[in-house]
Amino acid sequence: MEKIRVENLTKIFGKHPQKALEELEKGKKRDEILKETHHTVGIGNVSFSVHEGETFVIMGLSGSGKSTLIRCLNLLNKPTAGKIFVDDENILDYDKKALRQFRQTKIAMVFQHFGLFSHRSVLENVEFGLEIKKMDKEERVTKSLEMLKAVGLEGWEYHKVSALSGGMKQRVGLARALANEPEIILMDEPFSALDPLIRRDMHTELLDLQAKLKKTIIFITHDVNEAFKLGDRIAVLKDGEMVQIGTPEEILDNPADEYITNFIEDIDRSRVLRAENIMRKRSLKIGKNTAAKIALEILNDSDYEHGFITDRHDNRILGVVDADDLLLAIKGKLPIAEVMHTDFVSVSEDAYVKEVLEIAAATKYPVAVVNGEGEYVGRIQRAALLKALV
Amino acid sequence: MTIRHKKGILLFFALVLVLAVATACTQEAAPEAEEPAAETPEAEAPAEEEPQELETIIFGDAGWDSLRLHNAIAGFILDHGYGYDYDVIPGSTPNILEGVIKGDVTVLMEMWQDNVPIYPEYREAGTILELGTNFDDNAQGLYVPRYVIEGDPERGIEASAPDLKHVEDLKNYPDLFPDPEDPGMGLIVNGPPSWAVTTIMEVKGAHYGLDEMYNISGSGTAAALAASLSAAYERGEPWVGYYWEPTWITGKYDLVLLEEAPYDDDLWNEEAGYACEFKPSDITIIINPEFAGKNPAVTEFLTNYETSSALTAVGLAYMQDNDAEIDEAAEWFIQEYEDLWKDWVTSEAHEKVMAALK
Amino acid sequence: MNEFPEIFELNAGDYVETFVKWLTTDHMAVFDSIRDGILAFLLRMQSIISFIPWFVIIGIVFIAGWRLKGVRSGLFYTLMLLTIGLLGYWNDTLLTISIVLTAVIISLVIGIPFGILSANYKRMDNIVRPVLDAMQTMPSFVYLIPAIMLFGLGMVPAVFATTIYALPPVIRLTTLAINSVSKEMIEAAESFGPTPWQALLKVELPQAMPTIMAGVNQTTMMAMAMVVVSSMIGAKGLGYSVLIAINRTDIAMGFDAGISIVFLAIIIDRLTQSIGDKFRHDE
Repeated sequence: MEKIRVENLTKIFGKHPQKALEELEKGKKRDEILKETHHTVGIGNVSFSVHEGETFVIMGLSGSGKSTLIRCLNLLNKPTAGKIFVDDENILDYDKKALRQFRQTKIAMVFQHFGLFSHRSVLENVEFGLEIKKMDKEERVTKSLEMLKAVGLEGWEYHKVSALSGGMKQRVGLARALANEPEIILMDEPFSALDPLIRRDMHTELLDLQAKLKKTIIFITHDVNEAFKLGDRIAVLKDGEMVQIGTPEEILDNPADEYITNFIEDIDRSRVLRAENIMRKRSLKIGKNTAAKIALEILNDSDYEHGFITDRHDNRILGVVDADDLLLAIKGKLPIAEVMHTDFVSVSEDAYVKEVLEIAAATKYPVAVVNGEGEYVGRIQRAALLKALV
Repeated sequence: MTIRHKKGILLFFALVLVLAVATACTQEAAPEAEEPAAETPEAEAPAEEEPQELETIIFGDAGWDSLRLHNAIAGFILDHGYGYDYDVIPGSTPNILEGVIKGDVTVLMEMWQDNVPIYPEYREAGTILELGTNFDDNAQGLYVPRYVIEGDPERGIEASAPDLKHVEDLKNYPDLFPDPEDPGMGLIVNGPPSWAVTTIMEVKGAHYGLDEMYNISGSGTAAALAASLSAAYERGEPWVGYYWEPTWITGKYDLVLLEEAPYDDDLWNEEAGYACEFKPSDITIIINPEFAGKNPAVTEFLTNYETSSALTAVGLAYMQDNDAEIDEAAEWFIQEYEDLWKDWVTSEAHEKVMAALK
Repeated sequence: MNEFPEIFELNAGDYVETFVKWLTTDHMAVFDSIRDGILAFLLRMQSIISFIPWFVIIGIVFIAGWRLKGVRSGLFYTLMLLTIGLLGYWNDTLLTISIVLTAVIISLVIGIPFGILSANYKRMDNIVRPVLDAMQTMPSFVYLIPAIMLFGLGMVPAVFATTIYALPPVIRLTTLAINSVSKEMIEAAESFGPTPWQALLKVELPQAMPTIMAGVNQTTMMAMAMVVVSSMIGAKGLGYSVLIAINRTDIAMGFDAGISIVFLAIIIDRLTQSIGDKFRHDE
């Protein structure tokens, strides 16, 4: 379901934005407008929509307008033109009171440098949004304590925020946003100020939380890996314009232009691609009761060296054989079950390639891919793994 | 950003231009500055005929207008009649007195000796030289605006204390002159804290029993005292306090000096409570002795210099009424009272001064 | 070439004089009520301060110094107050404190809101700034006389003149303080949809507090600096003694009263400064 819809959103900085807007509508470029009117086009004519419960990542280099864009979504920046619908209401039509109501109940924001209030304790920071809503003291303390527990900051409630490390500070920022029970969370490069190890922990934490809470998240980043790791869908912003929107795989497979190609060049594909993206779909069907001779024929007809043996009923993998094994079975008149190897490895279809790599190294067979029900769905050959990485 | 930048550069060039023009002008003007005498008519006096290297005469300005007027009158005559340059230096009375002793100040035209207890010592010691009386018909004491006693139909003010004549009558009117800082008490505005007369007024107040119902409160500076009186007068409010004449205040505003017993030497001491009117103070002219010795012409002129309180007040009133500068008032005075001063100076100086007046 | 042509003449001062005269004669009621208000406040303050026994005041200062800065500072301030007492300026000091305190309180009541408004409205700031410059650089004697015209002699014009001189730092530093609250913190506050009052009271002011307190400290010190000047219009206290001493060239008296002012200023400075430090919080 559609949660947010942004239509032709434009934000121009300067004294007389309307004039620059006319130039923009005439099709002038950002650089020309800057040179001629001394106005900066933060974002120009951006349209997209965000589904309920998805993590929508907006990715771009610094100066691409991503911070400007996210601040338009809760009107910290007042757009010059365009429409922003949240639950089919144009928030640009809100008066001051309605806007306050909107910010108090529907949307919360997490900031790059945390934006914590240094004159307040950890707990008081988390209480802030509730205080603004005039919730009474007891209730908001209970709720805030709960939130702090959820982000793993138990025991730090009464410390000053200055006593916390960067990662902990952002947990406070997150707890403060969540305490308000917003439907939408805006995250403006929330983890870029953290060091890489902490950042990875925070990613995991966010994914876990999101799995439970299913909020609509708009996440800003300049880090491609982060974008591809967290995003259900990714929008790429360049010079204030939307260049491409799509799932991580779509973008990897079909970069819209050179800009995106360059952008994703240094991406660690093993962290983006999943097993299902690089596997070859199952084409052989060999059961444990299949005659060895037939099995050998099937194998020889394919271009595989190995064949996985599956249960006919539930499609679970029982073992793996190669041509030599089957010849042995034919000679000795043995059932396949006797000659197959059971020391194969399998991965889930949504495992990242990185994980596949790690286990593939430990086996001489292809890696089997199974779906959520444990059924055999495909395989990953070593060659395919290598290809996926370049 | 860039626009602002451009503006900044423009402004900078404008400034440079102004500076350049200004410098050019001063350079052009520099040669002229050597002969300023040709420019100003006052300096037309035949300066070349006078002996060179005359010392500059420094008049002390202790902060009141009659003194300033006398400075200007004496200065004008010494400048044009005798060829001396003169300058005026401001300061408080004690500082100026120190200046006269040291020679930093040459002349003080009004020495109110009763107000400076230490003065007789200096005079006896010979560290300063007293040349003579400038005027001695002055008055001081407690004043009230005339409308307080008689009312002023023109301004719509009714007489609020028709029976107020004598200082002691003030006892009947503490409510008329309330002290805002001390409810229930009246306020008599006293002189500045350092003046000896301020202490004398306190003793008087105690003697007359006024201190029971009045705070006799100092006013910080002479300017503050004047402002206080002036503000009350402009508003037509009752005011009582110390003042003295001649001043522009007493010239401009219609004030009444409250009566006391006639001056009596026996009453004029602290034990007796200074229970009589002020002895008209002998306002003298004092000079640095060394300067006096070297410049007998100046000494002679200043020894002859004698005016009166009434005359001085006329000069001050002229100034106030015509919104004139002190120098203009002095010239007017010299013009007007030629008969008075022509006896103080040599006939040669007299002619020169008259020539300078045109 | 060097002389400014005399035909071009501007008598700005005359207009001011006429204006002040007009105020004094036609709008006296306004100034009378202002005077009465300030005076009532002053007298209340004075009666409270002089009601407290001297040893209690010294005790309070000791405890304040001890709590805020340490035992040594507490003892040091006590010693300075005792010295003032021994020099014979205890009552003058109390009078001075009540005038300074009144002027400071008025300055804060006017200054902090003005500072906040200036921070929020650029146009207002553009007007306020030059006025503040004028207030700080205009020689105080120039407005002492109009002050007497409007408020009479004594403590009220002293408070008025002191306020004019002491007001600018608290306005300037409040504006600076509000303007330098980190942008992200303001955005963070805004993102939760507070009313302007909530944002001001819950975030901006607490964040601005250390700098505002620096302004309070400066304002207090400026007020102390006006003590002698304000005695020229009849305000009693330490300044009056200095004034008498200057006029009598009484070096001993001048020094005693002067050192009392210095001690008082040091105590007030250190105490307000350390109160300001209490508001400091790290990022």
